[in-house]
Amino acid sequence: MVKTKEILTLTVEIGDAMLRNGAEIYRIEDSLARILKAYDIKNFDVYVLSNGIFASANEGLDDACSVIRHTPLGDVNLGKISALNQLTRDICCKNCDVETAWKRLDECLNIPSPKKSYLIFFCGLGCACFGYLYGGSLIDSFMAFLAGMVLKWFLMVCEKRKYSRFTKNVFSSMIATFLSLIPLYVNLPVSQDKIVIGIIMPLVPGMTFTTSIRDFYNGDYLCGAIHLIDALLTALCIAAGVGIVISIYQQTPGGMSLL
Amino acid sequence: MMIINFFIQFLVAMIAIMSFSILFNAPKKEVIFCGFSGALGWIVYYILVRNYKVSIIVSALVATATLTIFSRAFAVIRMHPATIYLLPGIFPLVPGAGIYYTAYYLITKQHALFAQKGLETFEVAVAIVFGIIFGFAIPQTLLAKLGIIFHRKKTNTEN
Repeated sequence: MVKTKEILTLTVEIGDAMLRNGAEIYRIEDSLARILKAYDIKNFDVYVLSNGIFASANEGLDDACSVIRHTPLGDVNLGKISALNQLTRDICCKNCDVETAWKRLDECLNIPSPKKSYLIFFCGLGCACFGYLYGGSLIDSFMAFLAGMVLKWFLMVCEKRKYSRFTKNVFSSMIATFLSLIPLYVNLPVSQDKIVIGIIMPLVPGMTFTTSIRDFYNGDYLCGAIHLIDALLTALCIAAGVGIVISIYQQTPGGMSLL
Repeated sequence: MMIINFFIQFLVAMIAIMSFSILFNAPKKEVIFCGFSGALGWIVYYILVRNYKVSIIVSALVATATLTIFSRAFAVIRMHPATIYLLPGIFPLVPGAGIYYTAYYLITKQHALFAQKGLETFEVAVAIVFGIIFGFAIPQTLLAKLGIIFHRKKTNTEN
């Protein structure tokens, strides 16, 4: 019976992919249990944490096996979550044997992300719209559009070089604040605060916060706490970045009170 | 005039959320639904704050609950996880502005304003928590019924 091992590995790989792309814990545990049941494994246990998966099957039998995975906290990828969800659904309807499941898992993991130029453009567009929503004028929005594109470029460089989350968040919020001060120097009629608020939107930990609340709601207190700490630290990093640049700005000649 | 303003707000919020959902690689067919549920959350918040002068905390709570319920409804109708609609939609309600102003007042040593903004940011965060909890408190069976109605209609038209 090599089968049990293979099924368990497949299941955990699916769980690992879901976890990396930011699905919430309850959904992963639920999906994994359903997959194992669909493949006729009755005696199993699955335990998922925000950065690890532990699973064992057929304990006490000859083909007993267990799998452990360590998964670092990753970025959210909604497309992959959705594709993996569809895969789980198909497995549970028994439309999908183990080999096809492996192939489809590979397909799910290789879903291409949009082109870099698109990402940069849409980040700018999003920042501009948020700047407008929070009460900025059209000029403010336009500035947020330009600065948002620069910010996304910087974020992509950070990802490529694999900087730590702290470095990434502090430096990108510093850049956001710095970019928002430039229009003031050239004496454009802008409200600087609205521009910054627009630009820092891609950094704000809204998604982590939501995931944390959902984990708490489903009773996964440990995972909820891990995500909550992540969200709080990100918020602190943003505040630190803003604070550093503004305090430097106020020391420079010509630096005035902003609000 | 007011309605035009609401419409513009709705549209801008929709574009903002759609762009962010593209950033997080949402499936192409779902992007418009992400935008719709998120913009709905924002417009509820906006109308409550601007028109009815409700406190931003209560508004954030109601708006988040609306967003959550619509995300779950879309999840049932479109057969995708609710996460896809909920995560991008939450962005306009998250107190990003609060984080900025709190940091700003702390640096400029305006301690009264700092305490006020910091507390407000915290309260909005708590309101979002309760909004999401209320949204999820609606039993899944109720939403499943909605799904059944919708999918039946769809199969009828297909036949």
